[in-house]
Amino acid sequence: MWQQVHFALSQSAHRALFKLASFLPGLVALLVAVLVMTAVGALLAATLRRILAATHFDQRIARNQTAAVADWSPAHSPTLLIARFVFWACVLIGGGIGISAFDASFSNNSPVSVFLLPYLTHAIGAVLLLVVGNLIARFLARSVLIGAVNARLQYARFLSLGVKWLVLVLTGAMVLDHLQVGGTVVELAFGILFGGIVLTLALAIGLGSREIVSRSLERNVDLTTSDATDELNPPTSAVDPLRHF
Amino acid sequence: MPFTNTTPDLAAASPAQNAAPPATSTAALLVSLPPQSADALHATLANLTLAFPHRSLLLATPADAPAPPHLATANLHLLTYPPVAAASIELVLPPARFIDADALAQQHQAATCLLLGPGAEVLPPSLLRSLAADSADLILPHYHLGAREGLVNSAILYPVTRALYGTRPRFPLAVDLGLSLRMAQRLANSAQRSLTAGHHEAILWPVAEAASANFLIAEVDGCPRQLPQPPSLDLNALLAHVAASLFADIDTKAAYWQRARPAQPLQPLRETPNPTPGVPDVTPMLEAFRIAYINLADIWSLVLPPNSLLGLKRLSQMPPTAFHMSDTLWTRIVYDFALAFRIRTINRGHLLGALTPLYLAWVASHILFTDAGTPAEQHISDLAATFERDKPYLVSRWRWPDRFNP
Repeated sequence: MWQQVHFALSQSAHRALFKLASFLPGLVALLVAVLVMTAVGALLAATLRRILAATHFDQRIARNQTAAVADWSPAHSPTLLIARFVFWACVLIGGGIGISAFDASFSNNSPVSVFLLPYLTHAIGAVLLLVVGNLIARFLARSVLIGAVNARLQYARFLSLGVKWLVLVLTGAMVLDHLQVGGTVVELAFGILFGGIVLTLALAIGLGSREIVSRSLERNVDLTTSDATDELNPPTSAVDPLRHF
Repeated sequence: MPFTNTTPDLAAASPAQNAAPPATSTAALLVSLPPQSADALHATLANLTLAFPHRSLLLATPADAPAPPHLATANLHLLTYPPVAAASIELVLPPARFIDADALAQQHQAATCLLLGPGAEVLPPSLLRSLAADSADLILPHYHLGAREGLVNSAILYPVTRALYGTRPRFPLAVDLGLSLRMAQRLANSAQRSLTAGHHEAILWPVAEAASANFLIAEVDGCPRQLPQPPSLDLNALLAHVAASLFADIDTKAAYWQRARPAQPLQPLRETPNPTPGVPDVTPMLEAFRIAYINLADIWSLVLPPNSLLGLKRLSQMPPTAFHMSDTLWTRIVYDFALAFRIRTINRGHLLGALTPLYLAWVASHILFTDAGTPAEQHISDLAATFERDKPYLVSRWRWPDRFNP
């Protein structure tokens, strides 16, 4: 019996080592492809930056101003924008080549090819979703915060946090869905969380805005009344109004 | 759209007793008038006739303006320019006006251009004559505004323009301008670039343009003037629009203003009429600042150095009666925001939105300070002097933005 156990274990270890040995070259190929293309991208970007700087590309764009390219460029430099675009394009191409090489090192029916590769692409998509979701959440949170502060809302930070978490929860649910993790549990949890945040925000805004709405209504009533009286009794003295412009 | 020429019939004579002495130049003067009502147009034409009785005048009005009254001057020629689409922000002369004025001036070989803004009917003949003098490339009026008017100009536009370009005009965004032909051409080129880029509501900065071209700039004593007000006063949007345009222009002309240049001599301070007794309610502005300090401190910390943040912290703790923002603090705030706009420390919309509460704090401080007895013009002049003294800070940070600045 011990011989059979020993045989089963050695077979299993052999199979695992064999799988690892066949897995490693594909992985190394992927890494090499990414690294080489990154180096190529850096080289291309540096060359391009030098050429564009020598031809005064930024100044030409600034002179023409036919498009707001500079507005979208890092440090206001279209040259830098193009260089970075070329660099990241090369990195992406390297990633594509690497995944293709990784895929080619397995037969079509192998479990790695059937399960791991689609999961890898899904994982990359999920990471991109997470990054984009985070950026959008931060941008919206800041926009809401500044808008609410300029509207003199006392609960500006709470509103901003609410919006931020709404987007983050949405992003989290999309990422998990993309990774096919959790299934219906994620959908259910997302529905509950999202609905809860929306309800909380609605209640907070509704309750918090009561005073603003009543002040606004009172002001309207005052204005209507004063308009009616002003026609009869124009004010004799008033404080000079502020004019910002 | 082609420009059209019309010559008015001769009718009534201008009153001789108010006739002005002949202008220094007898060459044709192009006067570009804004869209005006019939009455306002009549008043403007009467003032112009009094101002230039012996000078050939080319009057340019929008094509869709009401028919001008018939005036009895043989040297008056009416022209039209394509009507300018109504802008949502009517604070300044739209770029199309500069292009049209330059085209008409070139076409009719005018020697000088006079661009007048909305409400120009109140400009007296003496001021019109001063604006049309050919002694400088750019002539701006020094309007007689109340102590609590034109606050954005007093807080940001005037001090920044004076400090960076060494120029003295109190209203860099004046809506009535006297331009030499080369100045009109330069402004038209700048306006054309803005329109080509699709910026139909771009703001042109004549003083900065003239300074960067080493043109002569002059300021003449103005008159009480109601500056054009936007139809709906959304301070956040308007301040962001004006500040963004100013900061972008500073960025464009960085190579010019970073070099030290002699400043124009200072004019004696003009006394502003005393405001009616009583202080406007500054509580909402102070409240806006305090709410902002609680919520926006994180965002301000990305833009402002620790020293300014400390100053803001102290300011947020001051009682309303003692509230005072020092000139140095405000100067640093404006300079640091200009720098953050350039290097895009944060999204530009967010950056300019975060400036509004700080501006309101300055307004509240200015009102309280002037109410305590300091003349408003004196305070603005001192503020501008602080901007001038602190210019090396901006130059230093502009060149080395990453260097630590306490």
